[in-house]
Amino acid sequence: MSTETVEVKEKVEKKPAEPLFSKRRRGIVKDPLSDDNPITIQVLGICSALAITIKMEPTIVMSIAVIFVIVFSNLIISLMRNLIPGRVRIIVQLAVIATLVTLVSEVLKAYYYDMYKVLGAFVGLIITNCIVMGRLEAFAMGNKPYDSILDGLGSGFGYAWIIMVVAFFRELFGSGSILNFKIFEAIGWDTFPTNGLMVDSIGAFMVLGVLIWVQRTKTGYVEH
Amino acid sequence: MQRSNTYIIIFSAVLTIILGGMLSLASVGLKPAQDKQIELDTKKKILGAVMDISNIKDPNEILSLYDQKVTSIVVDAEGNTVEADAKGNKIVAEKVSVQKNYRLDKSERLYPVYMFKNESGKTEAYVFPMFGAGLWDWISGYIALDGDLNTIRGIAFDHKQETPGLGARITSQEIQGRYVGKTIFEAGELVSVSMVKGEGNAGLTDHQVDGMSGATMTGKGVNRMLEEYLGCYQPFFDKVKSEGNLALN
Amino acid sequence: MDIFNIALKATFIDNMIFAYFLGMCSFLAVSKKVSTAFGLGMAVVFVLTITTPVNWLLQEFVLKEGALKWMGASFETVDLTFLQFIMFIAVIASMVQLVEMVIEKFSPALYGSLGIFLPLIAVNCSILGASLFMVQRDYTIAQATAYGFGSGLGWFLAIIALAAIRERLKYSHVPAGLKGLGITMLITGLMGLAFKSFIGIAL
Repeated sequence: MSTETVEVKEKVEKKPAEPLFSKRRRGIVKDPLSDDNPITIQVLGICSALAITIKMEPTIVMSIAVIFVIVFSNLIISLMRNLIPGRVRIIVQLAVIATLVTLVSEVLKAYYYDMYKVLGAFVGLIITNCIVMGRLEAFAMGNKPYDSILDGLGSGFGYAWIIMVVAFFRELFGSGSILNFKIFEAIGWDTFPTNGLMVDSIGAFMVLGVLIWVQRTKTGYVEH
Repeated sequence: MQRSNTYIIIFSAVLTIILGGMLSLASVGLKPAQDKQIELDTKKKILGAVMDISNIKDPNEILSLYDQKVTSIVVDAEGNTVEADAKGNKIVAEKVSVQKNYRLDKSERLYPVYMFKNESGKTEAYVFPMFGAGLWDWISGYIALDGDLNTIRGIAFDHKQETPGLGARITSQEIQGRYVGKTIFEAGELVSVSMVKGEGNAGLTDHQVDGMSGATMTGKGVNRMLEEYLGCYQPFFDKVKSEGNLALN
Repeated sequence: MDIFNIALKATFIDNMIFAYFLGMCSFLAVSKKVSTAFGLGMAVVFVLTITTPVNWLLQEFVLKEGALKWMGASFETVDLTFLQFIMFIAVIASMVQLVEMVIEKFSPALYGSLGIFLPLIAVNCSILGASLFMVQRDYTIAQATAYGFGSGLGWFLAIIALAAIRERLKYSHVPAGLKGLGITMLITGLMGLAFKSFIGIAL
């Protein structure tokens, strides 16, 4: 990560008028979606993600919350990057993240109370989501605001699509529905046997394990 | 980058003030909306125990329906109406936390009672909140009794984290519907209604409902909760029966 | 008895890893060797047992509605719950720092084995998670401490067990794409299945 940061800096200095969607910038957004996915390749942010993937609806809300937090904390930290004293930078990062997460939680409570009850303490746990901290430390501390926003978007969506896929399979096989729509009943298969394991945490581990397998086989990434 | 301690302290102080200020603003600004959501949530549950409100989507409609139909009082363990706390503050039934009261001794708790009126203003049904322990964490519910304070008109359960697909089924219409029409008194004695073990039982009495297979512990929790709270409300039942509905308007 | 039950339940049934997925990042990253897993596990038990009661005091006497009563009647309706996240995480980060300094001063040997793991812990989800769950469940301070300790112990057991399995796994033929994280997830799932057998125990 640190080498990448240095490279980026040099490039920016040589070409100050870089186009808005240069190849490098497209890379910042695109890489985390597949080749450098935060969950399946970097192994970050699994903590709070899996617990809420029983159904798709809370997963979507959670994804939006994480994308919001990651983009804005990246932006804020990047804007302040030359002001933050090195010795207290972790706590400064945590304070910024915690503030954003509290905002999300308060808004949810005010306008989406049912979901607030479902997600419960897990919204708060976005604070310790390693992806957010990881991006701040590895990217936002050393890059310009606009690049940091792109990086946040890339990582956020990279995280979102993985947990969405996990939630899709868990809801389909665990509850026999998609977004609360009883899909199997709709096609006339009333007796579809829902799988209790999928609703349980074990199902999440299994689905994610297989997903990682498929994704890594596709990208050709091998861990040694 | 190495900076002086003064810089670090000033930086931290400024940051704290900015972030704290932002949060306070957000909190104060969103408070009314949050309070309304919590109020709506409670009122929805109370109404839900008596009637089907699943097709009313507009929150304001639910709130106005509630104001129109429901009046509430708070009673103590002897069934006497309580209007103010020790300091003279008015007690509002909707604001009484059943969960907090559950931790107190039965004789010290406050018990909210919700009365559902029909068009002529006569009490058609009573709704009582309940709280108890399930298999994993708390379970709670509202039970609605007909005007005779015997026949169950409807029931709505909620839970914190019963096993999905097993104990969590108590929130489904299927399970809650089984309670409708059952009675809690047998020849003047309070017997409550209990969920039996296993599913698909035949020959259930008026005080039994079919169980949930794989969720015997949750069922036991539900039975304990019903028995405890109906017992707690019994003095109130007796009072209403002896004084008649009119005394309570 | 109640306290013992809460600790036991937190350790086995409500296991931080298998039931709530908390602390997964370090769980997966630091479970390649039993010796390092042991160090991190101990540090988590230690920090959880300290931060949960401290956050309890904070919640009870500062944050929750009416908690500031001790400052005078006019503070009775003050509700600072919206500061909960930021305060909890600040307490955790500073407690970790404090513990690190104390250990360094009084027990250099312990510092040698735990020291490098302590900074990692501030961002371990299970620490913040335990504090948030403790509030949700309305525990008393004794119960909260027991809960913190039990959760830590559960996390410790889980990471030691996984590290032991992964040490053996080095000699197995795992499909290329499944190597590392993939197979670890599947193993964690199977371990979780084993932990499910504690469910039937009525406490």
